[in-house]
Amino acid sequence: MEAEELSRALAPALGDRLTAVEPFPGTAGRVRFRPDGALDVFRRIHELGFTHLSTVGGIDWVDHREVFYVAWSDALKQYVFLSTDLPADSPHIESATSVWPSADWHERETWEFVGITFDHHPDLRHLLMPDGYAFHPLLRSFKLHEPEELEVKVRHV
Amino acid sequence: MSEMWINMGPQHPMTHGLWNLRVRLDGELIKDVDPEVGYLHRGIEKISEDRHYNEVITLMDRCCYVAGFAWEHLYTIAAERALHITPPERAEYLRVLSDEFQRIASHLMWYAAFVQDIGLMSPFLYGMRDRDLILDLYQSYTGARMTYEYFRVGGVRSDLPPGFTDQARKVLDWLTPRFNEYDQLCLGSDIFHKRCDNLGVLKANDCVTHGVTGPMIRSAGLKRDLRKDRPYSVYRQLDFDVALADSADVTGRYLVRMEEMRQSVRILRQVVDWLDHHPGPVIAEELPRWLGAPYAPVGKEGYLLKRHYPKGVGFSAVEEPHGEAQAYVVNEGGEHPYRVKFRSPVFANISAARQYMVGYRVADIPPIMGSVDVCVGEVDR
Amino acid sequence: MSTVTLYSVSYDIASLILHILGFIIPPANAALTNGNVITGLAVLVFGVILLAASMLNTILLIWWERKLLGRIMDRRGAMHVGYAGLLQNFADGFKLFRKTTVQPREADALGFFSGPTAYMVTSFLLFGILPISSGWNSGILPLSLLLALAIFSFAPLFIFVSAWSSNNKYSLMGGMRSAAQMIAYEVPLLLAVVAVVIVAGSFDLTTIVYEQQNYWFWGPLFVALIVFVAGMLAEMERIPFDLPEAEAELVEGWNTEYGGMLFAFFMLADYLRALVGSILVVLLFLGGWTMPSWVPSAATSFPLAGIFWFMVKTYIVFGLFVWVRASLPRVRTDQLLRVGWNRMIPLSLLSVFLAALLVTVKCVWPFGCIPSAGT
Repeated sequence: MEAEELSRALAPALGDRLTAVEPFPGTAGRVRFRPDGALDVFRRIHELGFTHLSTVGGIDWVDHREVFYVAWSDALKQYVFLSTDLPADSPHIESATSVWPSADWHERETWEFVGITFDHHPDLRHLLMPDGYAFHPLLRSFKLHEPEELEVKVRHV
Repeated sequence: MSEMWINMGPQHPMTHGLWNLRVRLDGELIKDVDPEVGYLHRGIEKISEDRHYNEVITLMDRCCYVAGFAWEHLYTIAAERALHITPPERAEYLRVLSDEFQRIASHLMWYAAFVQDIGLMSPFLYGMRDRDLILDLYQSYTGARMTYEYFRVGGVRSDLPPGFTDQARKVLDWLTPRFNEYDQLCLGSDIFHKRCDNLGVLKANDCVTHGVTGPMIRSAGLKRDLRKDRPYSVYRQLDFDVALADSADVTGRYLVRMEEMRQSVRILRQVVDWLDHHPGPVIAEELPRWLGAPYAPVGKEGYLLKRHYPKGVGFSAVEEPHGEAQAYVVNEGGEHPYRVKFRSPVFANISAARQYMVGYRVADIPPIMGSVDVCVGEVDR
Repeated sequence: MSTVTLYSVSYDIASLILHILGFIIPPANAALTNGNVITGLAVLVFGVILLAASMLNTILLIWWERKLLGRIMDRRGAMHVGYAGLLQNFADGFKLFRKTTVQPREADALGFFSGPTAYMVTSFLLFGILPISSGWNSGILPLSLLLALAIFSFAPLFIFVSAWSSNNKYSLMGGMRSAAQMIAYEVPLLLAVVAVVIVAGSFDLTTIVYEQQNYWFWGPLFVALIVFVAGMLAEMERIPFDLPEAEAELVEGWNTEYGGMLFAFFMLADYLRALVGSILVVLLFLGGWTMPSWVPSAATSFPLAGIFWFMVKTYIVFGLFVWVRASLPRVRTDQLLRVGWNRMIPLSLLSVFLAALLVTVKCVWPFGCIPSAGT
């Protein structure tokens, strides 16, 4: 499946929620969409056979943030790359966990590193960083801190 | 005894690394699990933003300490796509050689740890003994046994030393009958079947839903191997089969890994033969010096000679010994990648722990987690 | 040779010591050389000799296991301290001896310290009541077999005490498993012993050994031997039945919190029990210190030949336990219980039946006849 084919399959159902479908090496294509229609895009992509969500990640472009998803289709033997831009001041997007349960940990990681909030995520808490860690390390504005600045709570079980 | 949470980890013999499996137990029965990771987080993605493209390779070795080459390969493919570089063919074969030896070494390491988990002592030593032969091979052409730093963006660092291929063939000849011995020790034992059959079952559908890849998904009967599905490097030219099992349990994962080692030996024989007859350059010629001119004098590597590549992004996916690894490299011009994102297969495999652990007994945790083959380095990155 | 027994040697040593003391301190001479005093000291000397012998054997046994395991695993085992690593375990022992004993903050001190001590003491007691040769025994104990097995089955109690008092969930689970496992193996183990007792007609271990002069019991009572060895593996908590200390899931099970000398107690006692287990197999099924009549008399008549052959048999039996350890995975608790109740109890009942049959028919080809047939 190539980018045009993917575009043909997506465009009628998604309308203006889909902004572009570009060729992207190593995948079927890069699907750009509007963040407010995220869940529809996920569902449509899932219906196309991309049932396996590989990863979720975020990029800090300083003036805005990008969040991307990589999904795989066992029938087509291909990846699809989804990406959308979020405003830097309030970056939030609908969680993909209702469509792909495997998004769980990947979204937690993206939230704690890039600061993107996933609405309706079942369990959005720290994953790799300790509980109470107040920074988002993969932001461009992140600077190393003195140890005393880090007030990290230790969880007692 | 009422229900209780216990922490299996971060220091626990079951974890094979530094992570914590919180388990809610009712007597010996597992009611719930909650994996906690992050104890080994080194911020590799963040560090990469301040590193030259080739310096990231050093971090890749640390990403997974038993499968360093697979991660080097993953990153170099992504970086080459981002920088629009094509490596020479001999370099690709050398990479596959390293990859497949790494797969055997990683699986042997897994085998050693796994049999230890079910209480079988001797095969641990056998696995480590045979893995050592492969590490010796690595040492002969990379100079290192664990952190190789051998791949380069655009090729590999150096060619093989003379006599390497003969030595490699000897190792392959030694390994082939060993796999049958391993099978006799495990599959020949009734207790092994009693412990491992119908344990940690995760059906193919659930594997897909929960993002599980690698030997786990192949053990559920889903034929999914990136080396076949999206052949990267020179896998298209090589003849091999995808290891499959259909029981979706711990025994199935065992069978898949054993068969994968046999298939790797098959691949390696072809690769070694090819390398014997096709000399050539091992690194792309038109590289800027900062990206790996191979024989630059010390102190004059020319880091200052910047030549900016056009912007680009590179996405790669590699069948790592543990599953499907992905890398996404964003090149905004300049010497450093703007953003590097890695997808670790074990990360996803652990995240589904609740699906394949609840309902079994506490004594089943080590075999199940052993069959997942956890490598914490790449989970935490 | 039959006149020289362990006790007579102890008596001679005690009397020698007291006489020398009496010679040095003349006023106390009469009091010191009194028969009762000598007897009292002789018992003490007896105990010291037993302790030394058991410790020496235990440490040798650990060495034997390490070397054997090493060879099976394609490595050499301990090599550097002493010839072929013979002194390695002494070095390890001294290291443990010098280490601080750490008591967890919330642990119950009484149970935490008394558990290992009691475990150690009872294991040592076991060694004391077993006859090693016609001379090396602690006199006639008509029920010595019963006593030995009774003391043997104390262990889960002490394990549970020390596990519970160390205030650790892993330890507690290990202790629970130890107690649960006991009901799985204890019944078939005792039934297998009953088979031997039926044929030998006595609970006295010495008598049982002499009953095996025509043939060793392992042949006709093979089923009992299998059950007994399997039960012993569980009793000794060795792979494949070492669930209480399954290191893969329970870290070290009931001795997770122990370190230093307390751990050394557990370790020594474990191997002491392994030694006693092997000794019991030799006593009950392999003819003890006696050798078959076809063995040339030169091989059985040299001084201490009885002890020598006994130890050879014991170490071979223990070697089999090591072999099992090196080649089998660990079973699960429920599987052990199932094996215990569904397989081992019927087998042990069968062995009792076979033993009764043997006593009835008296002579069995190709083994021969029971010496005391009819008594």
